[in-house]
Amino acid sequence: MLNVGVIIKLEPDFSEGNVSYNSDGTLNRAETKNILGPHSAIACNAAFYSKVKYGARISIGTMGPPIAESALKQAQVLTDAEELNLYSDRLFAGADTLATAEVLKNGVEKMFGAVKMDIVFSGHRASDGETGQTGPQTAWKLGYTFLGNVMDYDIDLDRKVVVAKRLISLQGMDTIIEEIESPLPVFITIDPSYKSAFSTVSQRLGANKYSKEGRRKSENYAKFLKTYDSQKLDLDPKLVGLPGSPTIVYRVEKIPRAKTNRKTAIIDPSNPDNLTPVVTKIIEIARGK
Amino acid sequence: MSNSTNQEIGANKDEKYRHIYVIIEHFEGQVVPVSLEMLGEARRLMDDFNQKYQLREKVVAVLLGSNVRKLCDELVTYGADAVIYANDDELKYPRNDIDTRVIVQIAKDAKITKEIEPEYAGTFVKPRYMFFAADNIGRHLSSTVLADLESGLASDINKLVISDLDIRHEHKTKGQSVRYEKILEMYRPDFSGFLWTTILCLDNKNPEIQREYHPQGCSIIPGAFKPMEKDNSRNGIVIEYSPKIDQEPKIKIIKRSVIEKTIDYETCKIVVSMGRGIKDNPEQNIKLIEEFAELLGAEIGITLPLSKKPYQVSQSMDSKYMIPDRVIGTSGSKIAPTLYVAIGLSGAVQHIAGMKESEIVISINIDENSPIVDESDIFIKGRMEDVILKLVDKIKDQMQAISVRST
Repeated sequence: MLNVGVIIKLEPDFSEGNVSYNSDGTLNRAETKNILGPHSAIACNAAFYSKVKYGARISIGTMGPPIAESALKQAQVLTDAEELNLYSDRLFAGADTLATAEVLKNGVEKMFGAVKMDIVFSGHRASDGETGQTGPQTAWKLGYTFLGNVMDYDIDLDRKVVVAKRLISLQGMDTIIEEIESPLPVFITIDPSYKSAFSTVSQRLGANKYSKEGRRKSENYAKFLKTYDSQKLDLDPKLVGLPGSPTIVYRVEKIPRAKTNRKTAIIDPSNPDNLTPVVTKIIEIARGK
Repeated sequence: MSNSTNQEIGANKDEKYRHIYVIIEHFEGQVVPVSLEMLGEARRLMDDFNQKYQLREKVVAVLLGSNVRKLCDELVTYGADAVIYANDDELKYPRNDIDTRVIVQIAKDAKITKEIEPEYAGTFVKPRYMFFAADNIGRHLSSTVLADLESGLASDINKLVISDLDIRHEHKTKGQSVRYEKILEMYRPDFSGFLWTTILCLDNKNPEIQREYHPQGCSIIPGAFKPMEKDNSRNGIVIEYSPKIDQEPKIKIIKRSVIEKTIDYETCKIVVSMGRGIKDNPEQNIKLIEEFAELLGAEIGITLPLSKKPYQVSQSMDSKYMIPDRVIGTSGSKIAPTLYVAIGLSGAVQHIAGMKESEIVISINIDENSPIVDESDIFIKGRMEDVILKLVDKIKDQMQAISVRST
């Protein structure tokens, strides 16, 4: 039995109608709903692929306040997960990536009654924090081999090896797709370009079946939910939350507007003739003159 | 844990933690530009630092690879005082597991710093600061290295200042005001593009949780800083490091293939970008923008908020356009086309940073108070769907007229 974990995050919902911005362009957190983050959802899809193709069982974990349950529920819909884990404690509040990784490490170690996991997935980066550090830091603390920007993967069950494609794109250089392999366990962060492809009929039927099952389970998601505080996770309070965070947010300020040297001509398009010189200019440039 | 040795206790912090270590990336025998940009910024910071504090700390470039000795001199001409390089076939391509272990070894190796500064070889514990690139490789490498070194890391930085700060913090200082010296203020633009957050990596001076956090680490946005002018007269020490590769790397690279860039802003004369102004009918409006761009042979860009997929659009549109690779701005591409057309976007500072080098800027927006107006040569005030439709019609007419004339 393949044991697959997914680390997810409850994030602000940036979709139109749910997101609210202040007049200065910053996010209005109080008015913005929260959902399972889009990159977390992609990580869930990647885990679901393991369930359909290799019959894996799936455990989802998240660190957050009690309302993060809703993200676990959404993740169960996507994965048909057998287990949902909420790591929640006031002591965890304000954690930076290192202190978060400390909690997640102990969380992963307790999945499915503390078995050794084979693969743990996490998203590319959270849409609010956007550091992309939590996944690799958790991986390092767990001692799992870390694979980043994975676009596609399969598992060689006999050799207990994951075979993956990953994207490497560096400033000003050609983009590379690298095929790699690594023995299990691995910790994978999934590239935003990941798409599960169920190539055979039986896989597609399987995907349908598990999808239905996932939706059904999620209606009673509380049955699958385990909640852990710092004690249950055997965590040292000095290593979590604010006390365990090397970094602090010192200051938040508006980014000053850059100076500009442009003189702006304002054009009223209600009379289409006003657009003629603009169009002439555009065509000139398009034709390389 | 493993980092607190007896030697650490007692030694003065300036003796234990020294230098900026800059982790260099290279690709097919070329140094990736961000590495030279980091060296440039490290050089500027260190020159000011040494003058202000009357110290002689160094900019140390760290380079892993196979056959990389030839790159070391270049790093000196771009600002490094010392280059520590590890040359091994196993290090030919970036692999997180082995690279992390080798960089951690180098960072903790006091003996190697003897060649840089013999007087501190007995006291050196770890670097004071550490810089990585905020890209596919450096983002993850910085995370695993700092997790191993058990210190703090800030990502996606575009401004750095070193200063002495009076800090009062519930946990760090137990509510007392305490002076911290030589602190790296790490500025990162947030996800909205309007706010700058300053991150600090601070020791816990609260006696209940006392702990020193070094190095102060960050990953730096490619393009955020300028490299220094190449200076062939600079001298630097080049040191070969023999890493202890005691366990075989787990990650095996089977094949590497170059893929054609699907999006190429560098060779494109015209870039058309869209923002949240498409919201009234996203699918239809993107189609309109596609038509407009196609007519001009333009590439399409987006603002950061669109990469968070705020709209329900068809999957093909979603995976083609609403992706981080298309973001123009600090956290995406910096571009300088002949013509930039900004459609329905307000012009967050972080977006403007990515397009302000454009030769001509035309913006289309209903709000004449948007910041993008100031950054435009031509501002067309109106709903994007109306204006683009008119432009498309007129462009078609004029192009036809021109081709008729020329036949």
